[in-house]
Amino acid sequence: MNVISARRAEPLLEIRNLTIRYREGERQVTAVRDVSFTLEPGGALAIVGESGSGKSSVAGAILDFLGPAAEVTGAILFEGQDLAELTPAQRRNILGRRIGAVFQDPFTALNPALRIGRQIAEPMVQHLGLPLAEALSRSETALQEMGIDRAAEVARAYPHQLSGGMKQRALIAAALACEPPLLILDEPTTALDVTVEAQILRLLSRLRRDKGIGLLFISHNLGVVRRLCDDVAVMYASQLVELGNVHRVLERPAHPYSKGLLASRPPLAAASRDSRLAAIAGQMPTTAEPDAGCVFAPRCPFYEPRCGAGPQPMTITLDGHRVRCWKADALGSWPRQQVAAAVVPAFRRGDALVNVTQLSKTFETSGGLTTWRLSMAGGRPQLYRRARRVPAVNDVSFSISPGEVLGLVGESGCGKSTLGRLLLQLLRQSGGSVEFDGADLARLPAQALSPFRKQAQIVFQNVGSSLNPRLSVGEALERPLVLFKLAKPRDRARRVEALLDMVRLPAAYRKRFPHQLSGGERQRVAIARALATEPRFIVCDEPVSALDVSVQATIVNLLADLRDAFGLSYLFISHDLAVVAQLSDRVAVMYHGRICEIGTAPDVLAPPYHPYTRILLASAADDEPAAEPAAGGTAAAAHAGCVFATRCPHKLGTVCDTTPPPLRSLSASHAIACHLDTMPDIAVLPVSVRADPQRPAV
Amino acid sequence: MLALVVIAALAQWIAPYPYDQMHVRDRFSPPTLHYLAGTDEYGRDVFSRLLFGSQLSLALGTTATLISMAVGVPLGLIAGYRRGVTDEAVMRVLDVMMAFPPIMLVLLILAVTPPSLMKTAIAIGVLAVAPIARVTRSVTLDLMSGEFIEAARARGERLRYMLMRELLPNVWPVLMVEASLRVVFAVLLGAVLSFLGFGVQPPAADWGLMISNGRAFVDTAPWISLAPGIAMSITVIGISLVGDGLREVLDPRLGGR
Repeated sequence: MNVISARRAEPLLEIRNLTIRYREGERQVTAVRDVSFTLEPGGALAIVGESGSGKSSVAGAILDFLGPAAEVTGAILFEGQDLAELTPAQRRNILGRRIGAVFQDPFTALNPALRIGRQIAEPMVQHLGLPLAEALSRSETALQEMGIDRAAEVARAYPHQLSGGMKQRALIAAALACEPPLLILDEPTTALDVTVEAQILRLLSRLRRDKGIGLLFISHNLGVVRRLCDDVAVMYASQLVELGNVHRVLERPAHPYSKGLLASRPPLAAASRDSRLAAIAGQMPTTAEPDAGCVFAPRCPFYEPRCGAGPQPMTITLDGHRVRCWKADALGSWPRQQVAAAVVPAFRRGDALVNVTQLSKTFETSGGLTTWRLSMAGGRPQLYRRARRVPAVNDVSFSISPGEVLGLVGESGCGKSTLGRLLLQLLRQSGGSVEFDGADLARLPAQALSPFRKQAQIVFQNVGSSLNPRLSVGEALERPLVLFKLAKPRDRARRVEALLDMVRLPAAYRKRFPHQLSGGERQRVAIARALATEPRFIVCDEPVSALDVSVQATIVNLLADLRDAFGLSYLFISHDLAVVAQLSDRVAVMYHGRICEIGTAPDVLAPPYHPYTRILLASAADDEPAAEPAAGGTAAAAHAGCVFATRCPHKLGTVCDTTPPPLRSLSASHAIACHLDTMPDIAVLPVSVRADPQRPAV
Repeated sequence: MLALVVIAALAQWIAPYPYDQMHVRDRFSPPTLHYLAGTDEYGRDVFSRLLFGSQLSLALGTTATLISMAVGVPLGLIAGYRRGVTDEAVMRVLDVMMAFPPIMLVLLILAVTPPSLMKTAIAIGVLAVAPIARVTRSVTLDLMSGEFIEAARARGERLRYMLMRELLPNVWPVLMVEASLRVVFAVLLGAVLSFLGFGVQPPAADWGLMISNGRAFVDTAPWISLAPGIAMSITVIGISLVGDGLREVLDPRLGGR
């Protein structure tokens, strides 16, 4: 930080020894401990850490959002003024006017009852005293600056009429309405698709360059941070563990936790069956005691007795880099996990476990009385049904061999989750067939599905709701055993313990309830519940997207181990190409209900690409601008031609609008649905190599 | 609240006098040490009658609520779980029931047959089926988006297990709060009915009936109406507090890690 502070005298934001404690009844929890950093005008600092590390509390303290239960000590100096000394009224005046804030969830942050323009105008009326009419016209200009084309139209729209990316732009416009010199962003892109995320990040870096706005960017994603920020502060268990230049931290991290965090991010490259992600063992302590030694020591592979001797001070290296580790200079790279080379099963086409042919699913909006309309057309009253049909999955065919993992990638709303549910017959298809082990599931009545249900299971994304809050872990795991008569009553307890052991949880967890578990532990229980029926096929629907990076790596490794141990087949659904590539033998890319590319993982990740695959890869590696998503959202899927035509940078002409492209085989293991004769083959790979954290992490 | 139930249960033994014993010489006695809440126009001890009245009120409230829960909860669960046509059918029928003014509906039921305590309870219970079913349904709908429901369907669980094990325990805390409110309504409505003369018949001691009787003597002997009024307020507040308490006890998330 010394490098920057030499530039100008007065810092924009200076945090000195910030400590935040929450009172929870009798207990006191320290969320933030002795955090200090400086942000220069026009600078950009990222705070990175897992959930619960205290990063959002720092933002909350600056914005005065923490409520009466929080006790804040230390100084928060904004433009030289200590915010704690101000009256609430003065403080409110600074918020919105001098400090803008944007939060994680654009879907709930806007008031659904007010037009967008009004919501952007509000702070200008409030803080600058502008008349409403002028504020409204300024809000249109502001939307234009956010890269929104039809700004006047958008300003008159209500939030539900906009896509997630548009909402986030509108929120940024509202935060910047009074042209504050500081913008605080708390995970602004976490809820968005990769392609939209890339656009928002590009917008933010343009705003920073053009307007000289200082950014305080809070995120759990180190990759995002690289594209936007100068400096990065890594937080772990309420403490700052590393602080310095973003390239220095990402390329040569000094603290063991930063090393682990970087190493556990999956590289954007196909992985062999015996490779595992580097993982950080254990989990972050909820109540850290830094006085009794380094807070990271229990999980640190470089641990030695001296680490537990006393509090770790922040040390400053020669180039102004700060690290809270006494032997940071002597550390090597984070150790990689290796497993014995697994026998890779040979997949032959004939013996598919799951065979999907021309599968389609069309949703009709709401059944019931409201879809009936009375018409007086033709002179006499007529009742007719007014149902809107939304195709979610359209003519999809593929097969999965026993022991094979098929990855399914696509943005939200592309129909990938619907496809997973169709495979398990949780939804009935509108057309086509699903065969499991040779039996056509559509021909079976619902009651006859029981043997299939035993063999095909599902693991969900939402760790908060995938377990019944009223059932203990033991009860939840016992139920499949009872239902399918898999264990005698006296053997059940032992079987439950064996299942817990498979997902590496202690047997004592039998007695726990879901709210007593962390996100990663809940996902392990959900996996154990799926394993309880001894299935051959598991649909993993975004199993790691809701988890922190380090936890994500352990779950991905667990799934890989289970795959090899039991010869399981997965349909692994995710929006994250890197995670999919880590685990999958083959990858299918889905867009608006159709598969645009399918092939072995190395085939899909290397050129030639489908134009959409290329955009996904480029967004993940931040290579070049991604095409704007179609304005019509999912409705666009209804039109006649290629579903991707509206966003395609390589669009040929009318043929793309009128004829759906067939899935053409490029090789025995690779097929692309596109009219282009030569698929774009400018490799994204050099970028993906750069994005590989393993190499620079050394 | 617990004290209230104990008092109601032990009324026979605590009450200084039987509820229908008349002390002809002490008619319209204001509250004294002898008659804690005074006496009424027949010289009956108001305090004793209050105690016996509490028996009736609480019995009425709980019976009515149990009846409405027994019908409303399964209806709400099914409607929320099945959705579609089942949902529409159940909810429209309940809408029709809710369209009647409550008093009219109860009076209708009671007017055609001779009144009795059980019949009053049934009438009030039927009335509360709709709100109970609606609350159950809305909580169920909310739960249905939870992935644990989908996980259960992926195991091919049967309807009974889905409703009883997966859904009901999660609806329960909300239902307990709703039920406690319903008891309050039932007690009040019961009193209204007796006041109107359709509920419990004299000489039985019922709060509504007592208020009704005391109405004629409000200026000379206000205690006859006032005492049951106060008793009713205490009961209502007590039950509401119990409802709040129940919710805190039943919510697993408030149990701490």
